[in-house]
Amino acid sequence: MAARIGIFAVVVAVFLSIPAFSSAQDLQIVNAERRIDLSSHIVKAFLTLKVENIGKSAAAEMLLAFSPTQIKNLAMVQALAITGKKKKKTYLPLDVKPTEQPDAPNDTGYYRVTFVSPLGPGETVSLEVLYILTHSLEPFPVEITQSESQLVYYHDSAVILSPYHVKQQTTFVKTPSTRVESFTSIEPANRAGKEIKYGPYENRASYSYAPVIIHFENNSPFAVVEELVREIEISHWGSLQITENYRLTHGGARHKGVFSRVDYQSKRSVSGASSFNALLAVLPPRVNSVYYRDDIGNISTSHLRTGFRKSELEFEPRYPLFGGWRATFIIGYRVPLEDYLFEASDGRRYLNFTFGCPLVETIVNKLTIKVVLPEGSKDPSAILPFTVNQDLQVKYSYLDIVGRTVVVLQKDNVVPTHNVPFQVYYTFKPIYMLAEPFMLVSAFFFVFVASLAYVHIDLNIARK
Amino acid sequence: MAAKPIASPIPVALYPTLSVFTLAIGLVITAIFFIYETTSSRKNRSLGKELATSAVASVFLGFGSLFLLLASGVYV
Repeated sequence: MAARIGIFAVVVAVFLSIPAFSSAQDLQIVNAERRIDLSSHIVKAFLTLKVENIGKSAAAEMLLAFSPTQIKNLAMVQALAITGKKKKKTYLPLDVKPTEQPDAPNDTGYYRVTFVSPLGPGETVSLEVLYILTHSLEPFPVEITQSESQLVYYHDSAVILSPYHVKQQTTFVKTPSTRVESFTSIEPANRAGKEIKYGPYENRASYSYAPVIIHFENNSPFAVVEELVREIEISHWGSLQITENYRLTHGGARHKGVFSRVDYQSKRSVSGASSFNALLAVLPPRVNSVYYRDDIGNISTSHLRTGFRKSELEFEPRYPLFGGWRATFIIGYRVPLEDYLFEASDGRRYLNFTFGCPLVETIVNKLTIKVVLPEGSKDPSAILPFTVNQDLQVKYSYLDIVGRTVVVLQKDNVVPTHNVPFQVYYTFKPIYMLAEPFMLVSAFFFVFVASLAYVHIDLNIARK
Repeated sequence: MAAKPIASPIPVALYPTLSVFTLAIGLVITAIFFIYETTSSRKNRSLGKELATSAVASVFLGFGSLFLLLASGVYV
């Protein structure tokens, strides 16, 4: 028995050590092309890698390395495997997970990408990696007046940080306008219009890093939602009521000095170049009863356009937002139940809804989604394609006795790429729907019985 | 797709009409109940009749108020 456990432990140890060994030494990146898009305050980077297995054993996965500051600001990492050539390319999504390596130099963070099938010795595979960074554009100058344009720093490395040897690589950085104050030049680097090209660099060793700083103008709206609480209330009587509480700020260079409304309205292209006053929310197609209000009351500066595939709510806060300014508001709407509630094959019901924030091109620092299940629901569970913090609460609403179960999903650093469907499963016996009318019926019956008792009770003292 | 959409047991468009009719019937039966109470004397009052009328009236009034709540947007 002990011998068996010993053999099992040795086999497990051998299996665990093999992936660690093969991923660090045996892979080599033949060609890497990185395109970084700095047009908005959400930094998107596309990496096209051609990975070759130069070892003797098959490699099932590879590691992507990120610097410590980038790891903190990474909102999403996605990887696709490219097969086929030219017109017949097919893209297969790969499993990407954050991981820790024990011997990481300088606190490098890692993501592990698992291949579709293990890469044999001598084989190559083409991958496309997308990663999104938030809060990575640092405004400099930190404070600007109303008439100045917003300039930001972007810190990165001209050489792609990788645990593998990279034979050839090029990095293209796209800026939103042609105004680039300065950029670190690491030969060969040159700029043409809105594009800065770093490379091609040959034969860089693993973990090589060449820090660059690009100082450029970015007047795109830095809309950051500090906190968003979305409450989705399911009513089996026919609708889904969604209430969203926003705390919106402008995350760019802080505004200093006075705000001149005259300058703002007369010289709109120059004054408040980095400010924004209109926001767009993409709502579901068959939406009704949309309201937009805040603590003061209803805000009328909004336009709703309903459509077949989606509805758009274009709304404006009560004032334009400059750097450091905040706006708090509530948006609520109702959608029909049959679009989102389904019955699974095992008899459970599930809600299929879109995660994330309906505002376009905004970062949400802290997102909380609360799914309020009807009274009498049991065994709630949520299925999401990425990790979130899950919790359960109880909410007391109209005609409730025991309260409604609330599934709370919480996630930090949410970008529009997180707007994917998720499901919340629960069991519900349809007979429980009668609990609400039964409560009303018994309330009315109590009134009748009280009047009956009043009529029948004889309070006379004198005998007839 | 194997998923079957779940809708309300009663079509949502019917809620306002249903609420008007059930409340009307409920109020008529309530009227019958109170007329019976006031016009009958202590001797020939029948408790069974009273309870039956009040039960039917409270069912109609209960469902009528539920449909009224749903029709006005308070999806309970």
